[in-house]
Amino acid sequence: MKLYIRILIMCITIVFGSCVKLEEEPVGVLAPEGFFKTKTDVEAALFGAYGRMASGTSWGGNIITLLQLRGDMVDIGNPGTPLRRREINSFTDDATNGMTAGIWPIMYSIIGAANNAILGAQTISGSESDKKALEAEGRVVRAYIYYVLVRMYGDVPYIDSAITDPNSIESISKSKVSDIYSGIISDLEYGVQNLPYKFDSGARSRATSGTAATILASVHLTLENWQAAYDNAKWVIDHKGDLQYELVPDFQTLFDATKQDGISEHIFAVDFLGLQRHADNDDTTGPKTTISEVGGWDVQVPSLAVYNTWDSRDYRRKVSLDDEILIEGVLTPYTEWNISRPHIAKFNRFVGNAQTDNRQSDTNYPLFRYAEVLLIAAEALNEVSGPTDEAKGYVNEVRERARRWPDHIDTYPEDVSLSVSSDEFRDLVLEERRLELAFEYKRWFDIKRRSLGEEVFKGPNSLEPRANFDSGKHYLLALPQDELDRNTNLLPQNSGY
Amino acid sequence: MKNDVRIWHILSYSPKVSLTMKLTTILLLVSVFSIQANTYSQKVKITCNLENVKITEVFEEIEKNTEFKFLYNHGDIDMGKVVSVEAENKVLGEVLKELFSETNISFKVRKKQIILRKAGKNLTEKSVEAGLFREKYLEEQEIVVNGIVYSEDGLPLPGASIIIKGTTKGVISDLDGVFEISLVEGATTLVFSYLGFATKEINVIGKNNIKVYLVPSASNLDEIVVVGYGTVKKSDITGSVSSVGSDELAAFPSQDAIQALQGRAAGVSIQANNGGEPGSDFSVRVRGATSIYANSEPLYVVDGFPQGFLPAADDIESIEILKDASATAIYGSRGANGVIMITTKRGKTGPLKVNFNMSYSAQTVSNKLDLLDATQFAAYKNDIDVLAGRAPSFSNIGTLGKGTDWQDEIYHAGGVQNYGLNVSGGNENIDYYVSGLMYDQSGVIINSNFKRYSLTSNVNFKISDKVRSGVNILARRAIKEGIESQEGSSGVEGSGVVTTALGFPSTVNVYDTDGSFTLMPYGDPLDNPVANATGRSRELITDYLQANLFSEFDLFKNLKYKISLGVTTANGREGEYVSTTLLAGRNIGGKASVSSSKRTNTLLENYLTYSTTLNEDHSLLAMGGYSYQSFSTEVWATSAAGFLTDAVSWWGLGGAETVDVPFSSLRESELASFYGRLNYGFKNRYLLTANLRYDGSSRLAEGNKWAFFPSGAFAWNIHNEQFLENSKALSQFKVRTSYGITGNQSIAPYESLATLGYVFSSVNSQIVNAVRPNKVANNELTWETTAQLNLGLDLGLFNDKIQLTADYYRMTTSDLLFQIPLPEYSGFSSQLTNIGEVENKGVEFSLTFNDVVKTINWDTSLNFSSNKNKIIELPDDGIDILYSAAPGNFPSIQDTHVLREGSPVGSFYGYVYEGVQQNGNELLVGAEGIGGERFRDIENDGELTSDDRMIIGNPHPDFIWGWNNDFSYKGFDLNIFFQGSQGNDILNFSGARLDLGNGLTNATTNMLNRWSPTFTNTNVPQGNEDRSLVMSSRWVEDASYARLKNILLGYSFSENFLNKIKLRSLKVYVSAQNLLTITGYSGLDPEVNYRDSNTSVGLDYGSYPNIKSYTLGLNIGL
Repeated sequence: MKLYIRILIMCITIVFGSCVKLEEEPVGVLAPEGFFKTKTDVEAALFGAYGRMASGTSWGGNIITLLQLRGDMVDIGNPGTPLRRREINSFTDDATNGMTAGIWPIMYSIIGAANNAILGAQTISGSESDKKALEAEGRVVRAYIYYVLVRMYGDVPYIDSAITDPNSIESISKSKVSDIYSGIISDLEYGVQNLPYKFDSGARSRATSGTAATILASVHLTLENWQAAYDNAKWVIDHKGDLQYELVPDFQTLFDATKQDGISEHIFAVDFLGLQRHADNDDTTGPKTTISEVGGWDVQVPSLAVYNTWDSRDYRRKVSLDDEILIEGVLTPYTEWNISRPHIAKFNRFVGNAQTDNRQSDTNYPLFRYAEVLLIAAEALNEVSGPTDEAKGYVNEVRERARRWPDHIDTYPEDVSLSVSSDEFRDLVLEERRLELAFEYKRWFDIKRRSLGEEVFKGPNSLEPRANFDSGKHYLLALPQDELDRNTNLLPQNSGY
Repeated sequence: MKNDVRIWHILSYSPKVSLTMKLTTILLLVSVFSIQANTYSQKVKITCNLENVKITEVFEEIEKNTEFKFLYNHGDIDMGKVVSVEAENKVLGEVLKELFSETNISFKVRKKQIILRKAGKNLTEKSVEAGLFREKYLEEQEIVVNGIVYSEDGLPLPGASIIIKGTTKGVISDLDGVFEISLVEGATTLVFSYLGFATKEINVIGKNNIKVYLVPSASNLDEIVVVGYGTVKKSDITGSVSSVGSDELAAFPSQDAIQALQGRAAGVSIQANNGGEPGSDFSVRVRGATSIYANSEPLYVVDGFPQGFLPAADDIESIEILKDASATAIYGSRGANGVIMITTKRGKTGPLKVNFNMSYSAQTVSNKLDLLDATQFAAYKNDIDVLAGRAPSFSNIGTLGKGTDWQDEIYHAGGVQNYGLNVSGGNENIDYYVSGLMYDQSGVIINSNFKRYSLTSNVNFKISDKVRSGVNILARRAIKEGIESQEGSSGVEGSGVVTTALGFPSTVNVYDTDGSFTLMPYGDPLDNPVANATGRSRELITDYLQANLFSEFDLFKNLKYKISLGVTTANGREGEYVSTTLLAGRNIGGKASVSSSKRTNTLLENYLTYSTTLNEDHSLLAMGGYSYQSFSTEVWATSAAGFLTDAVSWWGLGGAETVDVPFSSLRESELASFYGRLNYGFKNRYLLTANLRYDGSSRLAEGNKWAFFPSGAFAWNIHNEQFLENSKALSQFKVRTSYGITGNQSIAPYESLATLGYVFSSVNSQIVNAVRPNKVANNELTWETTAQLNLGLDLGLFNDKIQLTADYYRMTTSDLLFQIPLPEYSGFSSQLTNIGEVENKGVEFSLTFNDVVKTINWDTSLNFSSNKNKIIELPDDGIDILYSAAPGNFPSIQDTHVLREGSPVGSFYGYVYEGVQQNGNELLVGAEGIGGERFRDIENDGELTSDDRMIIGNPHPDFIWGWNNDFSYKGFDLNIFFQGSQGNDILNFSGARLDLGNGLTNATTNMLNRWSPTFTNTNVPQGNEDRSLVMSSRWVEDASYARLKNILLGYSFSENFLNKIKLRSLKVYVSAQNLLTITGYSGLDPEVNYRDSNTSVGLDYGSYPNIKSYTLGLNIGL
């Protein structure tokens, strides 16, 4: 019996001694509850949103690819490139197109990250101005993403708070474009008021009040609120000292990855770090614009007309396009390449650290730069008061730099003619934008904003004729079919799809 | 102690008659384990003619002429009774009936004992009375021998018969196998026998406390079967359990015990995940996949350790597969996918034995694809060029010849060296088994190798009469090295060696004129196959250690307590280097990575077992316990790129230009459980089993952590019924039924919690800390639950010469774990949710037959299983879920599969191929023109749209089977093992890529039959570079097969010869594996499995080819 008692005691000890709670206490895995305590935590959440903007599915690749191919400045090079890209390029895409469907979730993932940061900014303790600045930064990121979304897709669901229970938004409807713009403008105005002029680091990938005002100018320009567009652009121009913005003297510097960090002309840019292989830091625009002879993918290649119609005296053509390249030590003209057209050079000539096919480069991809602010001011002012000297001055500022080659100053492009009409000036600014901002994924939105589709795709001077283009349909992308299947309240589909 | 199950052994001593009686009496009483009624007495016939003799003389006569012994208590029988017997070739049973017809004696035949009783007398009273005899006897006699009888695997054998040789005096072992016997004068030897085991004689002079191990003989009814937390005799099983023994597992050299199990057990389907790749994993399904997205691998219990790792096949004594809920519910939340119980070998009492085994296998590729040679490819390519309006690529077709055979470039002869040495033995206080094994395989693709070294040590010792302990240690190092033979889901950069070898045109040489590797001339820039096989080095080393310590205490009569403590660790290290000769390394100056992982699994197990018998008829066994198990997985990894030279491999990360952000993670979880089982048997006829497990898992949401998993079973041993007592043919006839609930908790830790994920983010080229919400919480997350019904039948005919086991089952799994896609505007892509239902139902048969024809012994067993899988309910009101399982570089192919209610999981989905679009056929809008692929217009609207797709294939077989044959004749033995699958479809992605006809890769010789305006009677379309890959029935094939898995011829040398060379045993054998395959499948091999998951079964894409082996082996025993 002694043994029996001994063992019984042992049993009991073991059973109760090992009483377990079965709680999960993850180490190395962050939980949102209780995460936000300090400013640093909110910044980490903001950097999360910025980091997502550099992912391969957003400005690392897909968003840029879609915007380039949709416009008239970039065509497909390699005809064997995946169908989804060819469809976007030829206006034959439908609601199941992989690019349309792939961009949607990453955009909302950035919005989710921004909303998380906004929540964090509201949660932490700290000075009111710090909290407001952090909240404002999140709101500017959110506003910018919605600004892209609304121009791509039109009416979309508008989520402006952090989601903890997906059921709560499972069956919401789309918001109207005008309501989304109200949200965007409200966020941006909050940003202008509460954000600093600059960060100590001089970082161009973080939103400042200058960023907010620039985006706001662009938003109003799109909405044809000319006065507001001008006012905001003018505010940026007037505060360029505080904001540390200016045109850099050499146009090439803008596209030299080794010189881009903190560069004074960038107002908002997506920051990439070379040779860091992460889904959230994956620049594929480098290889997509690089010739296959040196390992590139020949995906985004302008039509020959883009090159041929571009005056060779314009230094910007030299910077923007490669028409000859060293292949195994031999300078080879584009006529001898697999895809015998000049290739985009902005994102593959000076890439810093990168793979030899230019993937995972150091290039920071600009979303806004100071030259565009000048052009916005010029375009808006023309609509308000005609082609005033002030308006012409802004364009001339941009052209003056375009004449400045490293070894000489050319006569082209000349200053704007004194006798230009308002209509002429409007066209002239749009053309200036096309060349100054060539391949900077702006052109499609200009075509859409100014309804240029019929002219640029079907007109006699089309750089990229597209018989399929339908102005009743193609100014918006199709809403992704799988998303409509998940929530039928998002119907109707955009017209024509 | 009225209900004492300990068996009294009653000796034949009676002071009055002992000296005059020739017969001694033994009376056996009850045993908790039933003893089979034996039909033997119904077969034995005797002839005798005795007139007016004492009844005891009749007994003598019968004992002399048959194997039967009489057992009785003196007080019951009138020894002097005079009787007459006349029998001419009469059945013994009838003789006895007649003999006792006019006496007050009743008799019962048990095994080979004829037990006599005074009619109507209570046995328990008798036993008490008998005990008194014994005490008296012991006072006078001194030579007493005691000991324990065990089965060879160390389990005590209750009810074994121990007879003094040359007499009929004997005893029966008790519940713990313990016996005690007094020797009669002059006796030296005891004879141990037990039904189902071979009889053993032992000289006991001067010995005491002896341990006797009995080895099973032909009959398997009393085979001991390992179940969760205990063992049970096969005849007492109420559930569905298959057993596979060591002979079958070690039939041919196998890298892994699971490989050896293929085709051996009904209801168990096993497929290599990558053909014959050395060291590749296997996918195991017991009775189909109960889940869609959750892991459906069974639970492995190794020597009582759940989730332990597998020992090598040579060290395994037996594998039991628990299939129905009555068998698996004791493992509760881990039981739904079946449980595989593995028992390693133990030492047996006896002198030290040494066994040395070695074998060498020569291996070759079992099959090659017939691809276009250079001349054929050039013609094919030229046709495509002409169609595209270009000048033909090749103007020199006549000079090209055969070109490069890329398959020959990467395949070579491989081989396996297999060595094993084990030492075992034991005495009454300790037994031991120590084994070391080495397996070294060089694969049939250059640079693909696998090595395994393992050590097993099992030691059991008796601490006291009431305490036993044991230590069980398994250690293993596995080294897998070499190429990436099969690509994962990455794009062109990660192309597998086989894929590239099949796709590279035969017109391309291996090397350029400057000695560098040639590049792919068309389409995607694939790696050169030889560069691929030589430029990527990988090495995965995994060290496993499992240690388990147990102690078992006899607390008091009938109650045992067992505690075991165990730990398993698996430490893995993987290194990879991708050299600059490959696409993935070329642009970045070479790429290297090293990662390590440490998995730890600790276990504490406590349980009590109580067994008793009430009267003679009711047997009861109760078991209950508690267990706690914890798991942790640590992973850390780093990688870098840009090296001075490719020679640094992964051991020079410090010299890299760029170092990636390192990675580390820790995942921990716990499982706590209470469990119990009750077995009740009535008269060996009616058996009831009830199981209950109450599991708590940390992985589930708060409030859902604990759940009950009950099961119940009933079995009826019909052959033990009186009305079948006289049946000659039936030796076994049992029906079984069970129902129960089991779970599947294969949810990763932290899945119910919302989490923030790390984001790589930089500001001004400085990496910064960044996070984002990446997972949303699910506060209701719980386990998948499977309800299973099983109906079974066990039939034994002609003294078990023929045995049949048949089972029908139906399993319904609900609360399926689904990553439900969330609206993407939520910012999340999906949420793990419990929704949906899947059903598996099927039948299984296994049939064994053994016969001796003259001196040839033939054993054959056939197993057959058929499982039907069906989706009952899907989320979102059951709308179809389309998905793609296509390889990563198949950009144009969209969905390839569908999940649809009423159809099996993993159904292939696409267009119906109707051959070539011929001139004159209606041309659908959106379809390819004349000479192209033609698809069926299901919607019948004249247009080819995505609505014209349907289910075009089912990867699940109608049935699978295995057929094993053993022949032995004198020293020779021959084993022939077939295995196969019937009615399963394969989606041939390899074929699709090659025969699409776009001319960007090589093609199979099917393309020689391509359509042309002058050759229209074909179903192969013309080559066309604009054709994009469309999922259609063109790529779906029936992949039924029958395979001669193993054939072995061995010779064991005779004892005479062995005595001369002083060996205990010596056997030589030759064998061949995968010698013959019968299939209509056109791909490399019908046994394929690209991507291991329930939703992608039966996919063929660039698998490592299957292997044909020829083996020569030697077993030596010292």
